[in-house]
Amino acid sequence: MKLLKSIVRPNKVDEVKDALAKLNISGMTVTEVRGHGKQKGHTAIYRGKEYNVSLLPKMEIEVVVPDSIADDAIKAIVQAARTGEIGDGRVFVLPVAESYRIRTGELES
Amino acid sequence: MAAPSYDCAGEPRYVPSMSVTRPDSTGAPLKASLHAAREELRASIARGAGGRGALERYADRVDALIRQLFTDAGAHDGPIAIIALGGYGRRHLCLHSDIDLLLLFGNGIGPAEERFVNSFLNPLWDLGVVVGHQVRDIEDFQQLETDNPEFLLALLDARAVAGARSVFERFGAVFHQPGTHAFILRSLLGLIDDRHAHFNSTLYQLEPDVKDAPGALRDLTATRTIALLTDPLLLRRGPADAARFDDVEDFLLRVRSTLHLECGRNQNVLSHELQERTAEMLGYPGAEPRQRVERLMSDYFRHARIVSRSLEWARRTAPVPVGPNLGVSRDGVRFIDPAQAARNPASWLGAFQAALDGGTEVSEEALSCIQQHVDRYRADDFFVDARDRSALLRFLKPRPGLYARLSQMHDCGLLGRVFPEFQAISWRVVRDFYHKYTVDEHTLLTIRNLERLITTDAADRMRFRSILLDLQEPELLVLALLFHDVGKWRDDDHALESVHMAEHVLDRLHVSEDARETVLFLIRHHLRMSLAAFRRDTEDPDIVKQFAALVGTEDRLKLLCLMTLVDIEAVSPETLTPWKAELLWRLYVDTYNHLTQRYGDERIERNEAGLNELLANTPEDVTPSEIAGFLEGLPQRYLNVFPREAIYRHIWLARDIKPDEVHLSLERKGAVWSLAVATLDKPFLFSNICGVLSSFGMNILRGHAFTNPNGLVLDAFEFTDEERFLELNRDAHNQLLKVMQDVVSGRADVTSRLRGREQGILQARSAQRFTPVVHTDNKASGRYTILDIVTGNALGLLYRISRVISQHGCDVDLVLISTEGEKAIDVFHITKAGAKLTEAEQIALTSDLQRTLEGTV
Repeated sequence: MKLLKSIVRPNKVDEVKDALAKLNISGMTVTEVRGHGKQKGHTAIYRGKEYNVSLLPKMEIEVVVPDSIADDAIKAIVQAARTGEIGDGRVFVLPVAESYRIRTGELES
Repeated sequence: MAAPSYDCAGEPRYVPSMSVTRPDSTGAPLKASLHAAREELRASIARGAGGRGALERYADRVDALIRQLFTDAGAHDGPIAIIALGGYGRRHLCLHSDIDLLLLFGNGIGPAEERFVNSFLNPLWDLGVVVGHQVRDIEDFQQLETDNPEFLLALLDARAVAGARSVFERFGAVFHQPGTHAFILRSLLGLIDDRHAHFNSTLYQLEPDVKDAPGALRDLTATRTIALLTDPLLLRRGPADAARFDDVEDFLLRVRSTLHLECGRNQNVLSHELQERTAEMLGYPGAEPRQRVERLMSDYFRHARIVSRSLEWARRTAPVPVGPNLGVSRDGVRFIDPAQAARNPASWLGAFQAALDGGTEVSEEALSCIQQHVDRYRADDFFVDARDRSALLRFLKPRPGLYARLSQMHDCGLLGRVFPEFQAISWRVVRDFYHKYTVDEHTLLTIRNLERLITTDAADRMRFRSILLDLQEPELLVLALLFHDVGKWRDDDHALESVHMAEHVLDRLHVSEDARETVLFLIRHHLRMSLAAFRRDTEDPDIVKQFAALVGTEDRLKLLCLMTLVDIEAVSPETLTPWKAELLWRLYVDTYNHLTQRYGDERIERNEAGLNELLANTPEDVTPSEIAGFLEGLPQRYLNVFPREAIYRHIWLARDIKPDEVHLSLERKGAVWSLAVATLDKPFLFSNICGVLSSFGMNILRGHAFTNPNGLVLDAFEFTDEERFLELNRDAHNQLLKVMQDVVSGRADVTSRLRGREQGILQARSAQRFTPVVHTDNKASGRYTILDIVTGNALGLLYRISRVISQHGCDVDLVLISTEGEKAIDVFHITKAGAKLTEAEQIALTSDLQRTLEGTV
């Protein structure tokens, strides 16, 4: 199993969700996050005064998928979230050692 | 209480301070029983026990006497009641007090009734008692006798002594009306003041009048009366509890009784001579008379002080009148006369406004009065005239307490009756798995969120708060919020249905065309900003540009931004995350900057699609090609800012203009004046216009300067005339236009005109409350250097700024002026010799402006 942590533009969440649904992946966690990568943010000016927007709003989508479809899922996320401009985000892939269902205590494989 | 009187013909009039006694003749058994009663009272007084108990026993025996006389007067056909008033009504009948009576008939007064009056009163007079009597028919109490407040006060103590109980009860029902009570209360407060003034308003009299002096018996009764008329439980919370108050009363009555006994008449002044005798009779210890007197008097002052304090406290604490037929007390605002309120639904909003103003609520009593009667009225009944309509708009200004008052209005059925459109969403459940509350409550919560914004100290809300405080007409936002979801009574696209329904509301409220457009715009597009902020890539300049095109002006942007914020926040406590607030803010800033800084870049082009409406309705003497020629090259913003009529007016002004001509138009809309100046470009043009307006004391609210490629300049200003120069002076209009002509065309100088005012005593510039911000930007616009100035507003400010700009050889091509409270926000679009300023030029200009604004030059 793999945990895919994707940081994407907020307006791309729905597209990523739809793309994953096509692979029959439906369970996911979506979190509002702020951060910056290579962009480093910028400063905005409101009425002559500067204010800092160094942390950009992003969405984080976490999804756990079987190893067999991990590559397809990553591809689907990348394609759905891509605009081509700086700031499209990242997909991190982490191995999942074990997973237990809380209700029943079962170990999933 | 009331002075006794004699009413000769049984006319319902009260003649104060006239009493009559008749010589003794018959009625020996009655006389004997009156004598016995008096002797018993005398004996009690002599024992020092002439207090309440003894007086009540005496009153009871007089009651028996009256009843006997009533029986002796013979049968009477119609219903009649003999009613004790004033002190006798309270059963505090002193030895030589008048016996105040009301002879009340239930079926009119004719010869038979007159005969009865004679046969009843004559024997009473024959007994030698002092009678103050009134004769009335019960119908007389339908009209309030406003010329006789003492009588009305005496009626509050009315007690049935003899005759038909039913007549007395009918009297009670007719007399005890909230309106009557309110009148009596007001009169009583006036009488107290007059009486106190008589005693130099001090209770510490060496020879006090134990009836009338401050702190004496009348004050004690007045205190109880205030409580009775306003809040029967009032005295429980006062400086003296009921038992203590009774003790004080007993003491004062004992003193008064000894005075009556000693003098043999109705004498109430505790004079030096009588003090010794009284002290002795009341059993004060002391070897010397002087010691006994001192003890008596200190006891008197102690008691009088309690009365005095209680009265003052009651006056302070009792419900205060806060409007026509409205009083505020502990449980909130209530109708003084609910029956009157029930007949006048247009007055109900006043109760909610008074509660809002006083930081309290509308009392349960008033709410149930409204609830009981609200169904009798239709929406139009609540807005009888323009005053009622503007009162509603005033009520809707967001401020702490508005949500709570609107909720009360909703709960008692008033809101849904005033706005049947709102009733449509009452308790409406929409299962969208997103909203957590019924549609009506969600709507009211948006207003709560808005009012909370005013007092917020949360760091991430302060920026939105500053937008709210800047709004000129925040009540329009509340109006839009109130109706933004009313279309949800249907299941399909609710925004359009809401617009449709709100149109009816706005028709009924007769709001101005501008306000109407704004409210409908907000309702129609209330979901658009959250869509753009959360579902679109706002880093993309095209998205911002499209959104800016949708809102058109900064005012609408601000309104829509706040509307979006409070709407999301009202979905559920978790919906508006700091993250969403941040996205919303960024879209706001980007759009604001686009609207204020990029507007010079987008020009109106010939054959532009948006011109169709303008071309379709042209007045007879304006041709489409003239319109197109006039508009070509003006910024797009021009079409957003000015209504059609104004654009036609501008076209007329600009027509066939010669180089040395200045065409002006001045008109008024409500409190705001609009000035349009059309001319060909001239040096110092903009600053001269500002200078002239300031020199006439005008407060410039906003201004737009537009230049087209042919050198035509159109400057449009909105200003208020707080000194009312234009309103109060007949030729003011022409005078202002004449000076404007002269200054703009270079025939007169504005500096000297302005100097007088700037140095005048009325315009002494107060300390700057804002640190001025001057910022230049060469990137935002493709054509111009943008100069942002935010500073404290002051007379001649624009004139000073624009002069500095001109002195630097720069041209003001476009400018956006706005005033928000004490803050002036000016965005100038400038060029120098047709190009953007170099960095060095920007620095020089900025530092000069900074010094000008800080007042160091």
